[in-house]
Amino acid sequence: MKNRQPAYQPTSRSKAVKAGAVASAAALSLLLAACGGQTTSAEAGTGEKVDGGTIRYAHLQEPACVYGGWIQQAFLSRQVLDSLVSQTEDGSIVAWLAEKWKVSEDQLTWTFTLKPGLEFTDGTPLDAQAVSDNFEFWQGGGNGTVQAHIGDYYSSSRAIDATTLEVKLSEPFAPFLSALSQGYFGIQSPTALESRSEAENCESPIGSGPFTVGEWKRGQSITFNRNDAYNSAPQNAKHQGPAYVDSVVWSFIQDNTSRFGSLASGESDAIGEVPTVDFDTAKAQFDVQQFLTPGRPVTLSLNTVEGPFTDVKVRQAFAYSADRKAVVDSAFLGVVPFEGNGTVSSSTPGYNPDVAADYPFDVEKANVLLDEAGWTERSAEGTRTKDGKELEIKIVFGLNSIVTAEGATALQNLQEQVKATGFKVTLVPATQAELFSGQFSTPDSYDAQLGYWTSPHAGILYINFRQNTEKKPNPANTTFYNNAKIEDVILKANSAKTTAEANKLYGEAQQLLSDEAVAVGLYTQTSSVASNPKVKDIWLEASQGEPVFHDAYFTE
Amino acid sequence: MSTTTFTPGKPEVTARTFTASLLGGVPVAAVISTVVLAFFVIAALAPRLLTGADPLAIDLGAALQAPSSDHWFGTDQSGRDLYTRVVYGTRESLLIGLGATGLAIGIAAVLGVTAGLGGRFADGLINRGLEVLFAFPVLLLAMLFVTIYGPSVTTQIVAVGLGTAPGYARMIRGQVLAVRNSGYVEAAHGLGHSRWQVLRQHVFPNAMRPLIAVVTLGVGQSIVWASGLAFLGLGVAPPSPEWGALLDAGRMFITKAWWLEVMPGLAIVALALAATSLGRHLQTKLEGSQP
Repeated sequence: MKNRQPAYQPTSRSKAVKAGAVASAAALSLLLAACGGQTTSAEAGTGEKVDGGTIRYAHLQEPACVYGGWIQQAFLSRQVLDSLVSQTEDGSIVAWLAEKWKVSEDQLTWTFTLKPGLEFTDGTPLDAQAVSDNFEFWQGGGNGTVQAHIGDYYSSSRAIDATTLEVKLSEPFAPFLSALSQGYFGIQSPTALESRSEAENCESPIGSGPFTVGEWKRGQSITFNRNDAYNSAPQNAKHQGPAYVDSVVWSFIQDNTSRFGSLASGESDAIGEVPTVDFDTAKAQFDVQQFLTPGRPVTLSLNTVEGPFTDVKVRQAFAYSADRKAVVDSAFLGVVPFEGNGTVSSSTPGYNPDVAADYPFDVEKANVLLDEAGWTERSAEGTRTKDGKELEIKIVFGLNSIVTAEGATALQNLQEQVKATGFKVTLVPATQAELFSGQFSTPDSYDAQLGYWTSPHAGILYINFRQNTEKKPNPANTTFYNNAKIEDVILKANSAKTTAEANKLYGEAQQLLSDEAVAVGLYTQTSSVASNPKVKDIWLEASQGEPVFHDAYFTE
Repeated sequence: MSTTTFTPGKPEVTARTFTASLLGGVPVAAVISTVVLAFFVIAALAPRLLTGADPLAIDLGAALQAPSSDHWFGTDQSGRDLYTRVVYGTRESLLIGLGATGLAIGIAAVLGVTAGLGGRFADGLINRGLEVLFAFPVLLLAMLFVTIYGPSVTTQIVAVGLGTAPGYARMIRGQVLAVRNSGYVEAAHGLGHSRWQVLRQHVFPNAMRPLIAVVTLGVGQSIVWASGLAFLGLGVAPPSPEWGALLDAGRMFITKAWWLEVMPGLAIVALALAATSLGRHLQTKLEGSQP
């Protein structure tokens, strides 16, 4: 498998950054080789290309609607919406709806030149005004994730002429183009946004993409029908023009065994989220791709304002208390890599690898820290106590929505391991409804929460660690950790003039956060696809592993 | 294909086969069932008598090992000893079985007796209500409840109890109607006993007696329902060794580690079969001793 390491700016990098990138690439390649994440094929599949047909793809999760701010929605909306730019495997940004762009000297004004003559599938012209309308739609609350990425930087946008769009930022924002390449930033028809209800636009967004949303059988599948007039594929697509297949039936099979079984039995042509237990079998029989998602890895956010984790020594002790690598390797059977850095994952440009090694498994250190923190007594069960109160940690995790069954096993392993140092961990699996309704969003609702946040750039640090104040709340700050100094470093990184400077500052912020042990890393979020060798050219795009079917075709 | 001719002698042969007995007339099946149930009762009350290991202790180096002399039922994905987990899981599973059946019988007794004795209006109302509930499968009702209130032992008990109560209520209503019209109840009324006295001394005990057997059948059935819920991810949260939770956790490995599904599954089958068999034996005994 090729290393897919995205970056956020098409500018050149310094030697140090290149060396870092090469080192990360090598490390990733080794890691993936060790994890078995290489594309293999049992059948040669050398037959002739066949136009048409229907790809039956089985996916793990079914969101409430197609367009939204959750990665599962971006997976779907990527099939029907085009974005301004696309990110490639080597990290550069290439043309999509925008064929070229430039940024002003002060990095506050971005000018995009759009491809001429484009239309949405409802006939509305896809011009600069339409894209500007989308920026206003996002900024007006149309997509929370878009706001999280650019909301604090976007100032205004206007159409200079039909194909020239000007976007003004309030501050320089280095990861701007990288952010725009994600599925959340798909451009919708302004006519549809204006004339249809929010629910309609959410369920069947109108874009200019290779497919349109067809029938949605709730609980079963969505059919995506080919857009025969498609002529706006990104530069990094394998072909221009309409999709080769007539349609994609995107079914939802949550049970791992059944999903893999559907591929093995021929009921599906491809599946997503290949179960780890079936990974070796899949590699032997099918084409397998695995993508290490950039952004924040799957991490335990420790509640720094209420409960035992308000004490940095207890947080550090917790990080030292488990052999997290063994915990993850065992639960994921070596398929998904351990990630010790709790703030940025290894496939993200600007990743600081030193941070990943900050808290190795060290029971002795953990015990010393807990003694120093005053948790000196032990109950009959071995749990540490302080002033008669047990060192009890409540970990909340969204089972089957955010955390897979393997992730839940990793938590159980960790729960047992930290017993030795005197932590009593209670695991609270939350349903998707509980989690998304905000039931576990307040400091009194958990001591730690397991979650991830995908992002093709290390500016994710700003999203997750911008201070959470009354005047300017930040629901994505799940540690509730407010630190003006660290926020300042992240802000400087966001507005840095060069990628090298930005990455240096992002790395510094990761170290500062690691010193405070606010987030304990567990494993990398991944996307994977296994497909029948007769289906060619399904690919995972580089911003966050969205599966792309535009280039896919069947062979004889 | 051969044709079977039923002759008067056939049932006698069948009867002799199944009444093979030990210990002075007690059927073999009842003895085996009692031994199996005794094992599970010990497992529920004093699991340490059956295993010295910790059901939660992980051993990452010994994950997914097949059954062996070291690990009779094999190990799970965290290297936990599955036999130990099955033994320790008995308490919660049995609690769900007994609790759900008890709750169902309690609700059913109130509804059934009220319908049977409460006059045409109450009978009609309760019957229509029960018919509506019958329209929903037990599992669907239970799933709805667990979805709203979240998975735990308590919600499993209530969910399965509520789901199975309509069946018992219909049964109790039938018994109450039969007893209410019996000669001895008429005689009691004739002797001048108060309505409450007749209900307490004659109707209730005689209507409920056949249900003792049904209860034992229901315990096994409730465990199976609860396991079904857990298998669908609506059961007790891991790392609980509750049997349904074990099945749920093991299904991911069904193609690689058969023991994770088969061993807890066998425990459920053994307990349900033993309880059912003993229930049938009790039913036969009680029917034989009816006035």
